Amino acid sequence: MPDLAATFEQNAIDAAATVWRIERSPLAVRSAIERAAEGLKGIVMSEAEFLAPQILAGARGLAGIILKPDDEQLTTAGVGVTEAFAGIASTGSVCVSLGRPLVGATSLLMPLNIVLLASERIVERPRDLFHPECLKGEALKRNLIVITGPSATADMGPLVRGVHGPHRLLILLLE
Amino acid sequence: MAEPYTKPAAVEAPRDVANKADKGRLLRAIRMALEIESPAVRRNTQEFNRGRYVATAAIPDYDALKDRARAIKDKSIAQLPDLIQTLKKSVRARGGHVFVASTAEDACRYILDVCHWRAAKLVVKGKTITSEEIHLNSVLEKDGIEVAESDLAEFILQVANEQPSHFVGPALHYSRERITALFKRKFKTDLPLDTGEALTRFAREKLRDKFLYADVGITGANLIAADTGTIMLVESEGNIRMSSFLPPVHIAISGVEKIIPTREEMAPFVEILPPSATGQALAVYTSFISPPLTDPVFLLPGKPSKEREFHLVLVDNGRMKMREDPVLKEALDCIRCGACLNSCANFQTVGGHAFGGEAYSGGIGGSWEAGTGKLENARFSEMCTGCSRCVNQCPVRIDIPWLNENLADRMNRIEERAPIHHVAARFIGAAENDRSSSVAKLFFGNYHYFAKWGARIASLAYRFGGEKLARVASLCDSTGRAKPMRLALEQWVGLDRRRTLPIFPKNTLTHAVKRTAPGLVKPKAPKAVLFADVFTNYGMAHRGVAAANLLRALGADLVVSDCFPEGRAALSQGMIATAKNHARRATAELDRYIGEGRDIVVVEPSSLAMFRRDMKHLLDSKDRFERFRSRAFDPIEYVIKILEKTGRKPVDVFDASHSSVGKKLYLHTHCQQKTIGADAPTEKLLREIGFDVVTSKVECCGMAGSFGYTTDYYDLSMAVGADLINHIIQQERTGGQRTLVASGTSCTEQLHAGFERQVMHPVELLYSILKR
Repeated sequence: MPDLAATFEQNAIDAAATVWRIERSPLAVRSAIERAAEGLKGIVMSEAEFLAPQILAGARGLAGIILKPDDEQLTTAGVGVTEAFAGIASTGSVCVSLGRPLVGATSLLMPLNIVLLASERIVERPRDLFHPECLKGEALKRNLIVITGPSATADMGPLVRGVHGPHRLLILLLE
Repeated sequence: MAEPYTKPAAVEAPRDVANKADKGRLLRAIRMALEIESPAVRRNTQEFNRGRYVATAAIPDYDALKDRARAIKDKSIAQLPDLIQTLKKSVRARGGHVFVASTAEDACRYILDVCHWRAAKLVVKGKTITSEEIHLNSVLEKDGIEVAESDLAEFILQVANEQPSHFVGPALHYSRERITALFKRKFKTDLPLDTGEALTRFAREKLRDKFLYADVGITGANLIAADTGTIMLVESEGNIRMSSFLPPVHIAISGVEKIIPTREEMAPFVEILPPSATGQALAVYTSFISPPLTDPVFLLPGKPSKEREFHLVLVDNGRMKMREDPVLKEALDCIRCGACLNSCANFQTVGGHAFGGEAYSGGIGGSWEAGTGKLENARFSEMCTGCSRCVNQCPVRIDIPWLNENLADRMNRIEERAPIHHVAARFIGAAENDRSSSVAKLFFGNYHYFAKWGARIASLAYRFGGEKLARVASLCDSTGRAKPMRLALEQWVGLDRRRTLPIFPKNTLTHAVKRTAPGLVKPKAPKAVLFADVFTNYGMAHRGVAAANLLRALGADLVVSDCFPEGRAALSQGMIATAKNHARRATAELDRYIGEGRDIVVVEPSSLAMFRRDMKHLLDSKDRFERFRSRAFDPIEYVIKILEKTGRKPVDVFDASHSSVGKKLYLHTHCQQKTIGADAPTEKLLREIGFDVVTSKVECCGMAGSFGYTTDYYDLSMAVGADLINHIIQQERTGGQRTLVASGTSCTEQLHAGFERQVMHPVELLYSILKR
């Protein structure tokens, strides 16, 4: 059985994401977000669906957090925190599920996107998401966005990271 | 001696030469691309190409995934009418709207109506090639609606007023420096904009508010699942996510061919599309959404509150007719990854503004321009030389050369010809269907006829005037005495006078081999027939003789066939009926040898590829094709087979230290040889024997059979060949001169044009170092 977390981590780094392996505790999550958001204005968090609610509870008390942002604040906030529906080891991708409030906005509009990924939700290859038995077949029923690194373009000559979507992608891999 | 290559002049705006219904525009577009766009296209396509080779090699079951994807596409196209009905129900059940547009005009009218209903003033668009096909922007803009292209490449093109030149990188013909100059000129800015980051930041700032305040977002769709109404969207910048998420109205435009039965069946495409397109395992964003989304509409101050709305516009515009076409139907399987563009040597050199039409480009583009427009719009598809490098690169295994050979075949029949033309065409053996082909095509497609008579005349010239007279007879005289004839040939058949023609040999292969000893047959050594292909028999007979001598010396029971065309020349001119006649005759002649238990050895790689690949379209049954495919070998493959059968190692038989040309080789394998996998054994064997081998990395040398001999394409051929020539010069500058080795007749001519020195066939080299 391959070490999916290790494979995931390496491939995510290769895709220009940053990966921090952290303990699955409210304190660890809070301090990781605090450290990553240092110097950035405004943090917006989406609601948790797959992690226990208390894991994110600690972070909601951080300075700079915007608990009920209006749409204008969403366009100016510096950090979006999103929970991952799944991770993909072979590509280092995270997969977010639209529908819950703020998932779409936090994974798209802010320059820094922090994604929380539970290590047991990592699948081996992209094709696994299309298997009816994978993650209880949920992937086939949801609006999913598979994200592999920060937004990028090569249209302006050399490869540039940070285009319309987030410029940086930080994955907090919860062990 | 070939005249020195001079860069062509003349420049036109890409839009002016987008429609290539007439040949003049095509040639002007090539000149424009060579003059301006070539360096950026070359750099970017070759980078995509290298990335694809690495990324696809990393997929453990890549071939199986390709097969699965192809099967799903074939099934989907077969079930298309039913799938459209299922999809309509799925989307409507979720509250969305579906419109099936029969024509481009219908699609534009519907989208315009939606914009009117929602009082739209600003539309933000993600990249969609289908919208280019239907000319959507001009329709919306004429109605006073602002269209903001949000993909940065499309943004560049909108600023420059140009059409895309590539499916995946629509502006890859632009260098960073040209973008800087464009933005400075059009936006009248003093900002430096001298890095990719600065240009990206500049464009992003221009577009951010467009996303936030757009009334309508328009995207394409990479695939659509009929069962759930899920659309798959692949991108890297985030603009497609913004376009589908931020505005209250999302319109997705897609050709009907993008529908597949179920969401589950998207699985293989997710893994083969990005590696084939950009060389990434996955693109940055791959969305699987079943709109309308349930997220609330983004509401900024001053922006009126609106309900979310989704419209799926399915475009037919000729696709259902393509579905009924036995050949063009295959083009509907295309997933628009651009791998065929990136792996094409001609495309790498000029890009899609020359090798493309108004919306679609490259090898696959001709079928799409013809299918969604007029046949004449596909004229640029004659830039497909049939080199077949794209065939193995296509993730859904579309036989693109075959599509283009059929387009050429259909175009050959457009023009009316005088009765005398038909009589002459019949006289030289063209099939009835092909007799309205141009004089040039009849000449190149029936080259065997002219070669046979040329060789006979040359033979007499040798006898009565020696080589000098034979050169005149071969029209390859370098003293100028043959010039009037070359000028006439250029005028009549488009054979460029700057090309040196190979001199006809004193003895053709079939004559020469009669003078050689049959050799001593080794026990267990296989039996074979050496097929005297037209190119070897009349052009490079010494190579055929070397192959016969080598195989016999190794103990093979070898005979040599008569010379007859196998169909390659005719097929390359789109003369399919003639190619069928040639293939049937050649295989009928070879039948008796197979009956004797003989394999077929073919010296010229393009002829070998006929037996191994192309004849599947020309022979009457799969079994018949398989009978010849499985028995046809490259001479080096056959050397290896003999050694294996007789239990000998290459080093026991060959001694590289006896090589009179040294041990340092530069090996250029033929494009079609690579496609059929007959290149690797040569390289492996030469290394095993002890040669120091450097191999070329180009997809094709640029000569590509008759292509590089023609006046129309001489400049392009030379420009394509520059990569190969420069690589050799670079290698020799650092490591000293190498002996040039090439299997293909036309590759040999291209190398000779570049270096004017001996180019050996591997069999000549091996025969010279045989331990005796």
